[in-house]
Amino acid sequence: MGSAEEAGKAIQSFYDALEDLLRGRGTASMNEVWHHGDYVTTVHPFGHWARGWTEVWATWEEGAAVFATYQGHATRTDIIGTIHDLKVAVHGDAAHSTGVYKSRLYMSEGPMDLKVNCTNVAHRIDGVWKLVLHHADQAPPEWNARIGKMVESGRS
Amino acid sequence: MPLAEFSPAEVGTEAGGFRIVGTAQGVLRMTVWGYWPQDVVRTFSSDAPSALQKLSPSGTFVLEATELKPQGADGQEALRVLFRALAPLEFAKASVVASNALTRMQLARLLRECSLDGRAQLG
Repeated sequence: MGSAEEAGKAIQSFYDALEDLLRGRGTASMNEVWHHGDYVTTVHPFGHWARGWTEVWATWEEGAAVFATYQGHATRTDIIGTIHDLKVAVHGDAAHSTGVYKSRLYMSEGPMDLKVNCTNVAHRIDGVWKLVLHHADQAPPEWNARIGKMVESGRS
Repeated sequence: MPLAEFSPAEVGTEAGGFRIVGTAQGVLRMTVWGYWPQDVVRTFSSDAPSALQKLSPSGTFVLEATELKPQGADGQEALRVLFRALAPLEFAKASVVASNALTRMQLARLLRECSLDGRAQLG
């Protein structure tokens, strides 16, 4: 397997881990795909930058807590979200990717779609590609408001 | 009985900390920011419930969290200590203000867990 393919696989693993998180299957796979270093950073469709593994991990744990109140996946078999048009470029032990993440949540009022541009950076550390940066565009205010309402009410 | 005015004591650093201010007008304001290290968690868990005892039934409580980042397990527990101490008290108004959407969701969840979701206004 070439470097680009390996890096691409690592980045796809991140989106698989995100699906696990959204579906209430835990955060172990998300923990696994990241480098646990002081220089890692992330920002989600909701919220501000988190810098350093401690802060980054707190946001993923909170993301899992947010989606623990989402019940729409209970009766669905399709994937909640996928990355589209994923392009990966490798330069030595660093790789970056661009893509468009699209998701659909089934809320009590009906489907709610999200489409955001995403950027990722991975580093090859001790021969293993690990995510060190994830960026997703901010979601539209109405999407954020609906997710916030879900958390406040405790039901989707 | 009006809240006795007291000078703010700032705890922590720019990266994470808190400040508690009481005014003679009966407003108890806790300003919290950043990501809390262990020493800030410990001090907040002690200072915040103590300060709440100065809140009168006609008083207003404000948690100003516009610069607070989502907290890890220990920081969340410190916030639960605050909310659990607030829950049995009588007060005129309680507000929790956050600008980071994920922090706001975390605070909303913690308020709900501590049965304060109907009594504290989340803005």
